[in-house]
Amino acid sequence: MPSGRLIALLGPALMLAVGLGFALGAVTALDLGTVRRMGPGAFPLIVGGLLAALALVALIKEWRAPGEVTHPDPKAVAGVGAGVAVFAFVTPLFGVLPGAALSVLGTSVVTGALGWPARLALAAAVAVGVWGVFVAGLGLPLPALRWP
Amino acid sequence: MELLDNLALGLATAATFENLAWCFVGVFLGTFIGVLPGIGPLAAVAMLLPVSFYLPPETALVMLAGVYYGSEYGGSISSILLNIPGTPSASVTCLDGYPMAQQGRAGVALFMTAIASFFGGIFGVGVMVGLSPVLADFALRFGPAEYFSVMVLGLVAASVVSGSGALRGVMMVCLGVLIGTVGIDVNSGETRYTGGIAQLRDGLSLVVVAMGLFGIAEVMTSARGATRSYAGQKVTLRGFLPTAPEWLRSIGPAIRGAGIGSFFGTLPGTGQTVASFVGYALEKRISPRASAFGTGTVEGVVVPETANNAAAQTAFIPTLTLGIPGSATMALMLGALMIHGITPGPRLIPDHPELFWGLVVSFLFGNLFLLILNIPLIGLWVRLLRVPHTLLYPTVVVLICIGVYSIDNSVFDVWVTLVFGLVGYVLRLFRFEPAPLLIGFVLGPAMEEYFRRAMLLSRGDAMVFLDRPGSAALLGVSALLLIASALPIRRWLAAGMRPARRD
Repeated sequence: MPSGRLIALLGPALMLAVGLGFALGAVTALDLGTVRRMGPGAFPLIVGGLLAALALVALIKEWRAPGEVTHPDPKAVAGVGAGVAVFAFVTPLFGVLPGAALSVLGTSVVTGALGWPARLALAAAVAVGVWGVFVAGLGLPLPALRWP
Repeated sequence: MELLDNLALGLATAATFENLAWCFVGVFLGTFIGVLPGIGPLAAVAMLLPVSFYLPPETALVMLAGVYYGSEYGGSISSILLNIPGTPSASVTCLDGYPMAQQGRAGVALFMTAIASFFGGIFGVGVMVGLSPVLADFALRFGPAEYFSVMVLGLVAASVVSGSGALRGVMMVCLGVLIGTVGIDVNSGETRYTGGIAQLRDGLSLVVVAMGLFGIAEVMTSARGATRSYAGQKVTLRGFLPTAPEWLRSIGPAIRGAGIGSFFGTLPGTGQTVASFVGYALEKRISPRASAFGTGTVEGVVVPETANNAAAQTAFIPTLTLGIPGSATMALMLGALMIHGITPGPRLIPDHPELFWGLVVSFLFGNLFLLILNIPLIGLWVRLLRVPHTLLYPTVVVLICIGVYSIDNSVFDVWVTLVFGLVGYVLRLFRFEPAPLLIGFVLGPAMEEYFRRAMLLSRGDAMVFLDRPGSAALLGVSALLLIASALPIRRWLAAGMRPARRD
C-alpha cells in the first residue's frame, strides 16, 4: 500500500530536513572559521551533514522495505498536552496549587478518564499533595497561591 | 590499607542521617516507579533532578542513584506477577518469573529475585571499587583527541544497542548533539540557533529535554493503553522459601549473571537490558537444564536479575571516571553533577573522594534497604499494582510540570517541555528511540570542545585522531562495534530466547 510507504518515509525525511536545516543555518548565519581554529558553525555543519547523510541512507532502506509506523493516539496526546498547557496558563496567574488542580482536570476531561466526582477528588488530592511535599516539605520557592 | 581508609571516608559521608534518609527515599521511589509499568527510571530521575538542586551534591547523587538501582528491583515485581516488565531490563525476568507465578510460586520467584538483585548489586559495587581508581588513573593520560574518541565510542555503543538499530541510533545521537549546540558558543560568544528567543541563549536545560522526551512522551504513549486495571490478578504468596536444590542450582548462574552484568555495565553505552538478555541467553546455552528455561525455573529469574543489578552498579564506572554515561539515565546523573559544579572524569576520585566513596558505601546501604523493602514489604508493592492508571497519569503530568517550573519559576520551560514531549512522541511513532538523543545532548558540548581543541593542537590536521594510539584504538573499537552490529549476533542470542516464549 503506497500511503503506508509514504508515511514510513516521513520519519527519515524529517531527520533529513533537520540535518540540512542545521547545516544550512551554520553555513549562512555562523562563522565557520578555519580547519585549525574552528568557528561556531563548523561543528554543527559536520554533525548536521552527517545526520542528513544517514537520513538519506535510512530513506533508501525505508523505501525498499517500509517499516512499521505506530498509529498515534490523538486523545492521549491532546489530554497530556491539555494538562501541561493548563498548568502553564494558570500558574503565572493564580499560583502552583490552582495550576496543579486544573491541570489534573484538563488531562482527565480530555482523555475522558474518570467521572466528575473522581476528577474533582483527584484534583483536590493532587493540590494538597503538591503543597505538602513541595511547598511545606521540601520548601521549594514556588508561588503556591497568587492573584493577578 | 588505602581501600579501608577510602571506605571509612565513604562510611562517614554515607552514614549521616540526612544521606541515609535520602538514600531510603531514593530506593523507595525507585521501587515505586519500577513497579509501575510505563514510567521508567529515566522519567523518575528527571522528575527528581530539580529537587536535587536544593541538596548537597553527595546527597543529591545518593538519592538519584537510589532511584536508579531501586527501579531495577521494582521492575521485576510486575514482570513476575503480571508478565508486564516494569522496566525494560526486567523483560527477561518475565520468561521464567511469570510461569512461576502461574504455578502458584510467585512468592519464591519474588524472594529469589530480591536475593539475586542484592547479590548482583553487591557484586557490581565490588567491581566498581576495584576498577574505578585503575580506570581513572589510566584516563588521566588522555588528551583532547582521546577524550573526543572515547565519547565517540560511548555514543556508538549507545546507538548500537538502542532498540531501533545502529543507523537510527546514530541519527538520534546526531540530533541530540545538534540540539546541544543551541545557545551561546563558549569559544566565540556567538549565539547559535536561538531564533532570536532570549530564553534560549543559555541553551536548553537538560531537565526540560529529558522530561519532555521521556516524561511527557512516555505518559502520552501509555496514558490510554494501560487503562486496564490489574485488580483481577490473583497473587498467592504462600511458600516464600525456595527448596534446598533450588538454592544450590542458583549459585553458578548467579555468579555468571553478575559477571556478565558487570562487564556490560562497565562498557560505556550498553546497559542493564543488554546485560540481562545476554546473561539469560548464554546461561540457556550452557546450562545442563536448558530445557527447563522458560517453564518457570529459578535460574531463569536469578540470571537476568543478578545481571541487570550488577550492570546498574557498574554503569557508574564509566560515568564517574571517564565522564561517559552508559545510558540515558546515567547522562542525567552526569548532568546533575555538572549542575553542582562537579565535572565527572578521571579527576573526580582524587578531587572529590568523599563524593565517590560516599556513593559507593551508600550503594551498600541502598541495597540493604531494598532487600528489606522487597521481602517483608512485598505486599505493599503488589497492592500498588492495583491502583488504576487513570488516577496515576494526570498526577504524573502535574509532577512533571512542577519539576520543570521549579527550576526557574519559568513558564517558558514548561512550554518547551511540551514541545519536546511532542518531539519524543513523534520520534517513537517512527521507531526512533530517543535514549541516544539524550546521551548525545549531554555529551555534545564537551565533544565539540575537545574536537576543536584537538584540531587546534594538531594545527588543523584531522589525522591526529588516528595518529595518537589511544585515540586510534578507541575509534577502531567504535568502528568494530558498528561492523559487528551488522552481523547476526542479535539473531543468535534471540535463538536462545525463542523456545522460551511459547505463549
